[in-house]
Amino acid sequence: VTSTPRDDPGAVQRPRVRPYVGGPDATSDAADPALTDAAPPTKPGLRPFVLTSGRVTSLDPDIGLETQVTTRPAAEIWVTVPVSALPPEQRAIVDLCVEPVSVAEISARLGMHLGVTRVLVSDLRDSGHLDVHVADTLAANDPEIILRVMRGLRAIS
Amino acid sequence: VDSVRFPEPSSGTVYGRPATPPSGAPTPVKIIIAGGFGVGKTTAVGAISEIVPLTTEAEMTAAGLGVDDPGDARDKSTTTVAMDFGRVTIDEQLKLYLFGTPGQARFGFMWDDLARGALGALVIVDSRRLDDCFPAVDYFEHTAVPFVVAVNAFDGLLAHDLDQVRWALAVKPDVPVVQFDARERLSVRDTLLVLLERSLSRSGGAGAGQYVAPVA
Repeated sequence: VTSTPRDDPGAVQRPRVRPYVGGPDATSDAADPALTDAAPPTKPGLRPFVLTSGRVTSLDPDIGLETQVTTRPAAEIWVTVPVSALPPEQRAIVDLCVEPVSVAEISARLGMHLGVTRVLVSDLRDSGHLDVHVADTLAANDPEIILRVMRGLRAIS
Repeated sequence: VDSVRFPEPSSGTVYGRPATPPSGAPTPVKIIIAGGFGVGKTTAVGAISEIVPLTTEAEMTAAGLGVDDPGDARDKSTTTVAMDFGRVTIDEQLKLYLFGTPGQARFGFMWDDLARGALGALVIVDSRRLDDCFPAVDYFEHTAVPFVVAVNAFDGLLAHDLDQVRWALAVKPDVPVVQFDARERLSVRDTLLVLLERSLSRSGGAGAGQYVAPVA
């Protein structure tokens, strides 16, 4: 007995590629978890990896969701392309990272697909516009770090 | 003509890549909030996060979990999933991120990327729909990531008590199963503390106490 895709409840969750996620206002209805879990409606737009000239495989595995990114202080910048000449998406990233920001936040705040964000962040590091602060993944096993997080959470009231 | 010269990269720096990691940015740590569709993951993130939960979209390789037809060519594919996350600034040099992972049981458990370096995972369970959390429990049982099963008490009520939940999920005796309310900041906080206590004992840290009582 073979099931047709139509019979398969999973079939409604076909792979879906969309360049820009909705802004926080579109999906942040925290009051209703069912809403935020649901796939947001598809919007027309550029295919996501147009922004990266189709590159998806150059991902640096060290660039995680939580990895902190900062704009290089102007004095240290040695770049062939001035910030003002960067494509708008890249300029937006450089502008956003004046304070340390995570890759996930860049993706969410600029409405950019996470994979695209990672490629662009990696490019901007290579071009000297950004510093990517690759954290030690061993931090998760560091009792000092865990205790600090616990103290921090206990301070929440 | 030779009159235009580009400046040299500063010494000690490979072009675009500093020889030593730059300092000054906070250390990020993360906790994964997992569970089935609509069990309250985003609610829990929102209850404790200092920012309104943000959403990012990511592509994940989907394993054919729960697929009962091995001949199905679609049993492995790439899917785009939305992920909600929040943030808690612990101190100037430490930021905690909470990533609510996609609820689809069928997809998204190729999470190695997300799980790498995580302090731990909270698997949120709706006691009326226990099977929704099986994929998450399965996943974390096979990783080194410490996890806690947190039963979200909708309106303070559980369809099954904690012992029944533990029995149904067949988690190891050392995995805490606690009751909490995803809407309550302090309840989420205390549940995270139960998880971190477990992370701490896994890390061999001094001061790791015994797991105490379920959170009411």
